[in-house]
Amino acid sequence: MMIEPLYIRGRSPLHRVPAAFKLAALVAAGAGLFALRDVRLLGAALAVAGLLVWSTGVGAAALWRQLRGLAWVLAAIGAFAAVFQGWLQAAAVLLRVGALVGLALAVTLSTRSSDLIAVCERALLPLQRLGLLDAGKVALALALALRFVPEIWRHYQEIREAQAARGLARHPLALIVPLVVRTLKRAEQVAQAIDARS
Amino acid sequence: MLIEIDQAVVATPHSQALRGVSLTLSQRRVGVVGPNGAGKSTLAKLLNGLVLPTAGRVSVDGLDTRGDLKAVRRRVGFVFQNPENQIVYPIVREDMAFGLKPLGLDAAERERRIQASLAGLGVAHLADRASHTLSGGECQLVALASVLVTEPALVVFDEPTTQLDLRNRNRVARAIAGLAQAAVVVSHDLDLLRDFDRVLVVVDGRIAADDAPGPALRWYCEHCA
Amino acid sequence: MKTQDTVLIALFAALIVVLSLMPPIPLPAIPVPVTLQTLGTMLAGAMLGPVRGGLACLLYLLLAAIGLPVLPGGRGGLGVFFGPTGGFLVGMAAGAFVTGWLARRLAAPARGGAAAVAAYAAACVAGGILVVYAVGIPWLSAVTQMGLGKAALAVAAFVPGDLIKAVVAASVAWRVERVWPLFRESP
Repeated sequence: MMIEPLYIRGRSPLHRVPAAFKLAALVAAGAGLFALRDVRLLGAALAVAGLLVWSTGVGAAALWRQLRGLAWVLAAIGAFAAVFQGWLQAAAVLLRVGALVGLALAVTLSTRSSDLIAVCERALLPLQRLGLLDAGKVALALALALRFVPEIWRHYQEIREAQAARGLARHPLALIVPLVVRTLKRAEQVAQAIDARS
Repeated sequence: MLIEIDQAVVATPHSQALRGVSLTLSQRRVGVVGPNGAGKSTLAKLLNGLVLPTAGRVSVDGLDTRGDLKAVRRRVGFVFQNPENQIVYPIVREDMAFGLKPLGLDAAERERRIQASLAGLGVAHLADRASHTLSGGECQLVALASVLVTEPALVVFDEPTTQLDLRNRNRVARAIAGLAQAAVVVSHDLDLLRDFDRVLVVVDGRIAADDAPGPALRWYCEHCA
Repeated sequence: MKTQDTVLIALFAALIVVLSLMPPIPLPAIPVPVTLQTLGTMLAGAMLGPVRGGLACLLYLLLAAIGLPVLPGGRGGLGVFFGPTGGFLVGMAAGAFVTGWLARRLAAPARGGAAAVAAYAAACVAGGILVVYAVGIPWLSAVTQMGLGKAALAVAAFVPGDLIKAVVAASVAWRVERVWPLFRESP
């Protein structure tokens, strides 16, 4: 079970903007959205965000999967705001949150993970120079995490089947303890294998 | 390729894994057998510096494992028992490149070595595969390729076929037989070692027998079966 | 930081991913099935200690931030961080640090299983709940302009589930530590 990035391959205008610029623009837009009070402007911002998301070529199912959790949160927030602060304020809050999340989603959908990592590396360079960080180790840690997610997932499925066969399928301890122990054993072996090659 | 182990002792707070072992290894194929917990793995790990002797000395081609660890590791590769825990990058090609990093080669040379190493073991087609999709045997061959890519002089194997099914075990056995480098193989799979030059039997932290495969394995079967 | 530490951090981050993506499981006394994401971050702190546990969480958050669907439900990307619940995510890393710090102080010297589990549970509650909510509630309040009190009220319903997760995490940490002690190591 490989983790597939959310990035959508494409050649839209948003795709072609450099990652660092998109991130900076996102932060600036975020700040700007909080300064806006006018519901009409916020509505326009939401429309722009929606347009950008659409321009990335994301499919409806994938989009819904990303927004599903937020939908409930927004419903609750909207209800709260409507009751305590009135409809207009509720609308402003929902539009603002929607626009913010939409813009951030557009950046995620149109930017490769590797490009975002490159931006992180550049940003953390001062820490590297101060000796607080080792870029090689961070890169290794990232790769290791990605490498072993499928293996740990496979082991989780094996444990679940074995436990189900014994009638323990719903016991969280019976599931999690063996998973953690095996992961720790694995860590010891992997560390040895890395040491042997360095 | 000359390995000299001089009165090596490996002691932990709880026990003595190796009690004063002295050996000179220069043969192309050396096997190591022994009961579980005898100290076979510890002996193997001395050769690559994964374990340092608490007393005594281990040297590979004159390089002391205590002083010249990096140089020793460049000369001695190590293949472990568990196939999947040796491949640390998500894509095979990336994992092999990781092994090459300390060598500081240019991109073309890196690519050439990766291709040659994989092709030599018959697994060139796995270069761009996701690591978690490899079978046990494929993992072991890729792990071996990742080790060979740095062109070591010796490869140490710690029970390389224990976790493999028959077909994969045969693939790895053929790979070991065809290796250009010298090899030291720790194994419970006695058939693997029958054509070797020398077999050591480790019992209780000491070398109990040291002979050609025939006599050594006979001794092992008589005393430890 | 030795190789062993880097590997532990990476593999624990992977473990948090797996726990997050597991289908929600029913816990005793909680009507709705819950995700195990918070449990994963509590465990990271309790088992690996403050520095490694905190870094494992940060690595998990980095995986999410660069656009991988490692958050519960297959979510990911910057959208979650810029949304109303972003603070609860960011708070998890600080929470893991605090959990680890307290676990080292309280659970290591504890004598007897019940005392040890209680110590771990206290550490998990302090880090996994108090710290996380201390970051998450102000963030929620700021993003939605709700007012701290109302924001706190809004998330109060999640606290019982998190308390149970803390107890489960504590039990797991204690059981694993007995079989595979990590406390003797740095940091």
